[in-house]
Amino acid sequence: MEKRKTFSYARYGYLFSIPFIVAFMLFWLYPILYTAIIGFTDLKGIGTTKFHFLSEPFKNFKTVLTSASFKTALRNTVVIWIINFIPQIVFALLFTAWFTSPRCKIRGQGFFKIVFYMPNIMTAATVAVLFQALFAYPTSPMNDILTKFGIIASPFNFEVSKTSAKLIVAFIQFWMWYGYTMIILISGVLGINPEIFEAAEIDGCTSAQTFFRITIPCLRTILLYTTITAMIGGLNMYDIPRLYLNGGPDNATLTTNVYIYNQAFAGSYMYNRAAAASLIMLIIIAVCSVAIFQMYKEKDPTKVDRKRRHLAAKKEVTE
Amino acid sequence: MKYNLSKVKRVSKPVLVIMYIVCIFFAILSLLPFVVMLVNATRNTYQVQQHAFSFVPSKYLLDNLKILNSKDTFHPIRGFINSLIISSGATVCAVYFSTLTAYALVAYTWKLRGAFFSLVLAFMMIPMQVTSIGFYQMMYRVHMTNNFLPLILPSIASPSMVFFMRQYMIPSLPLEIVESARVDGCHEFRIFNQIVIPMMKPAMATQGIFCFVASWNQLFLPQILLTNKQRYTMPIMVSLLKGDIYKTEYGAVYLGLTLTILPLFVVYFLLSKYIIAGVALGGVKG
Amino acid sequence: MKKLVIALMVLALVTSAVFAGGAAEGAAGKKTVLNIMSFTDEVPGMVTKYFEMHPEEAAKYEVKTTIIATTDGLYQPALDEALKAGGADAPDIYCAESAFVLKYAQGDMADYAATYKSLGIDVDKLLKSADIAQYTIDIGSRKGELVALGYQATGGAFIYNRTAAKKAFGTDDPAVVAEKIGAGTNSWDKFFQTAAEIRKNGVAIVSGDGDIWHAVENSSDKGWIVDGKLYIDPKREAFIDLSKKLKDGDFHNDTRDWQEGWFADMKQAGAKPVLGFYGPAWLINYTIGQNCGDTYGDWGVCAPNIGFFWGGTWVFANKDTKNADIVAKIIKWITLDDSDTGLQYFWANGTLNGEGGTKDCVASGTVMAKSNGELEFLKGQNMFDVFVPANQYANGKNLTQYDETINTYWRDQVRQYTAGAKTREQAIKDFKTQVADNLDVIVE
Repeated sequence: MEKRKTFSYARYGYLFSIPFIVAFMLFWLYPILYTAIIGFTDLKGIGTTKFHFLSEPFKNFKTVLTSASFKTALRNTVVIWIINFIPQIVFALLFTAWFTSPRCKIRGQGFFKIVFYMPNIMTAATVAVLFQALFAYPTSPMNDILTKFGIIASPFNFEVSKTSAKLIVAFIQFWMWYGYTMIILISGVLGINPEIFEAAEIDGCTSAQTFFRITIPCLRTILLYTTITAMIGGLNMYDIPRLYLNGGPDNATLTTNVYIYNQAFAGSYMYNRAAAASLIMLIIIAVCSVAIFQMYKEKDPTKVDRKRRHLAAKKEVTE
Repeated sequence: MKYNLSKVKRVSKPVLVIMYIVCIFFAILSLLPFVVMLVNATRNTYQVQQHAFSFVPSKYLLDNLKILNSKDTFHPIRGFINSLIISSGATVCAVYFSTLTAYALVAYTWKLRGAFFSLVLAFMMIPMQVTSIGFYQMMYRVHMTNNFLPLILPSIASPSMVFFMRQYMIPSLPLEIVESARVDGCHEFRIFNQIVIPMMKPAMATQGIFCFVASWNQLFLPQILLTNKQRYTMPIMVSLLKGDIYKTEYGAVYLGLTLTILPLFVVYFLLSKYIIAGVALGGVKG
Repeated sequence: MKKLVIALMVLALVTSAVFAGGAAEGAAGKKTVLNIMSFTDEVPGMVTKYFEMHPEEAAKYEVKTTIIATTDGLYQPALDEALKAGGADAPDIYCAESAFVLKYAQGDMADYAATYKSLGIDVDKLLKSADIAQYTIDIGSRKGELVALGYQATGGAFIYNRTAAKKAFGTDDPAVVAEKIGAGTNSWDKFFQTAAEIRKNGVAIVSGDGDIWHAVENSSDKGWIVDGKLYIDPKREAFIDLSKKLKDGDFHNDTRDWQEGWFADMKQAGAKPVLGFYGPAWLINYTIGQNCGDTYGDWGVCAPNIGFFWGGTWVFANKDTKNADIVAKIIKWITLDDSDTGLQYFWANGTLNGEGGTKDCVASGTVMAKSNGELEFLKGQNMFDVFVPANQYANGKNLTQYDETINTYWRDQVRQYTAGAKTREQAIKDFKTQVADNLDVIVE
């Protein structure tokens, strides 16, 4: 292409990236390096600033990886995230399809879009308190409704049952984020050239075909963003599990970030173990991200074009 | 060739009804806790302790307001201004500089581009829990506490926003326009500010809302860094309402929470037209 | 371009805010600044009252208060950082709640506290003349030196509902109720005997297992940590069986403290009427008193079968304070002054902010003896008659700085066992795993 022209402008690439780099180095480099180093030391307790590198450098990592709580936390994080994310992406895509398709003139679309995002505005602390009240035992709105309609015989202790606790946390996450995901996808769809849709109409595509063969592939870049940020957010799940039942009952909703927080703040201030656990999580997240990038790269853009052209050609033949 | 969309095959009636039912169900689901919160703001502590969830508003709204005003630490106007300064500052910095950084990644080919993008992604993956400890310890050491700058300036480096802007720009930014502007003799920076930014409006509005909400609701870092009463943000003031567990005035707390969220609604409604309207990006035809 | 203008405006706002704040502080430079850090407005309110009563001091000092609630666990990190950073912003006076007071009095942060003696307070004489409850001294002492004292006394008693008592025993006489729950026996045997008896009359003896937990916890011989190792005191281990007994016998309404069901039981609106609650004076005034609904005036208080204390705030002085004399005066006034103008007297009689405030138990036995603890809520009964002797039984020697966390884990596991989700051995094993995984404690 115009390689010659862009090459001489390359220095602007560096120039425009400078603010980011400066801010990063000023504010984040020190804390990140500090955390990385601490994982290899014996720093714990408040007020201690002196620390010594451990003779066995990976001792903290071993302690973390072999602790039952960490293993449970990792398992919980993944499980809760999957239960939360699959409905989330399904409904987000569903609503995106409904609200951007010219075939479905749903009146009050604007109202629905606004309302679906609202749960994201509420602070996690408020949400946790409200849901605690909703599912309390023995008296709570949920228990009252279920017993009154005879669905269950006597009040169910939602907070002692490990399954229900996990499901509730997953639901809260879904509730808080499905509108957000939908808005991101809609803004991506708004960026697609409407002429492509017009061409699809002319070709006589059904709405399903339009959605799956055109919209989704064009949303590929945004979908990549959504998947990666959802994965990172999921593996970093912290505020709701901690505020709802503080990882309980019996570690059923303990996620890895709550585990890390406990190491640092449950009483012993074991920053070294918290840092080691953070590094372990960073590696896991990095590996998963690479996997997701690969997954999206396989859908080569030329292949998508080929599919579209193929589809158009097929239509011509049948007409 | 303009195609008459009125001839488009509409979905069948029953399917439309199902769609409406689903949408209304989710709308109720999303609004429910807000209604409860508003209702609780009109009840007093005793009522809230007995039945935390209720749809029947009571008559204690003014009493709760009085309680809030009597609290030595609750000054909603000052808290609002403080929160506004921090959140707007952080949002403007994040949105503008993230778009700039994303533009650098997309519009130009430079040697370290791939490495830089990997750095941005890596930064995004770091669990923020432990780094925030190092962050506020660092701030205490350089005596930057009780200052709004440590809460605003770091957002210049917002990796996930850079990522989003880049993903958005790649399919929707037509480099031909940039080329034609260059031919016209525009400076790169002017091109960015006068051509690229207007085109990125939906993305910037969307991310702007998210950033503003996140910054507004943030409690941990501001609480640790701002210990001067004059600098308290709204969430800090509301958290102070929850004193010892046996003396919390729940009705007033809910009112405080409602007041905290109110400005967010305003901002959201102001920017929401970018989400509803179809500001499509197809600027270049052919 | 527009964005740039907005950005510049915001920047201008920010810098003006930063400098404006700084300028305002500079203008007040004449007075010496006194920093107070607390988690409720109680102590700051007391300091305000002190300066009201001593205008000559008020002219010299300006008080800066920082209040950070303990909910969301934000108070301690902020206090820790402020103490560590030192300098002009470090607190001169700071407070700690019973849940974490050990850390500041005897544990990791104890070195930041000044001994009362070093401030110039005649500790030995005042402790004796004010007759301060022993447990609050024990908790506030670092290696035998007093560094903190609580102003409240939170010794616990049994607070019972008179109508429920009449339904259970036919009478609401405190002496009878006390005997029925085994007052003075220091055991739960009579308690459970009575629980079974009154169950036949449809009365639950307590609301949930949380109600007996504080009595169990505080009456154990040793704390959770002995020689750096986790130690499960047999009396605390017995709680797992006591809780199961309560559930199996249906002796309670299976509520959880601080939740809806527990509050509902305070106005007798639960599944069964509840006989009573174990708690200190503040439970009456702030919790039951607020939630009792129509049952106001229908309550009584009697001695418990096991002595304990629950809650309280301790007041500390910073060892690096530059205002030792005023700090000493304030602290002495709050914790050791047993005269009619001392804080203890105001606090006990509810007269801190004029007449009619809530009465509470205070640490000074001398003040309690000359104060009036009669409450309408208790049908005119004088609560001090019961609470003063109750304070003697409180044990201040079996606490550790990790109690808050360890207690949470323990009660969580007990709840799982009681609900039938796991065996007794598994519950104890999981408890040990949790402590080992999250705290720097050796667990065998």
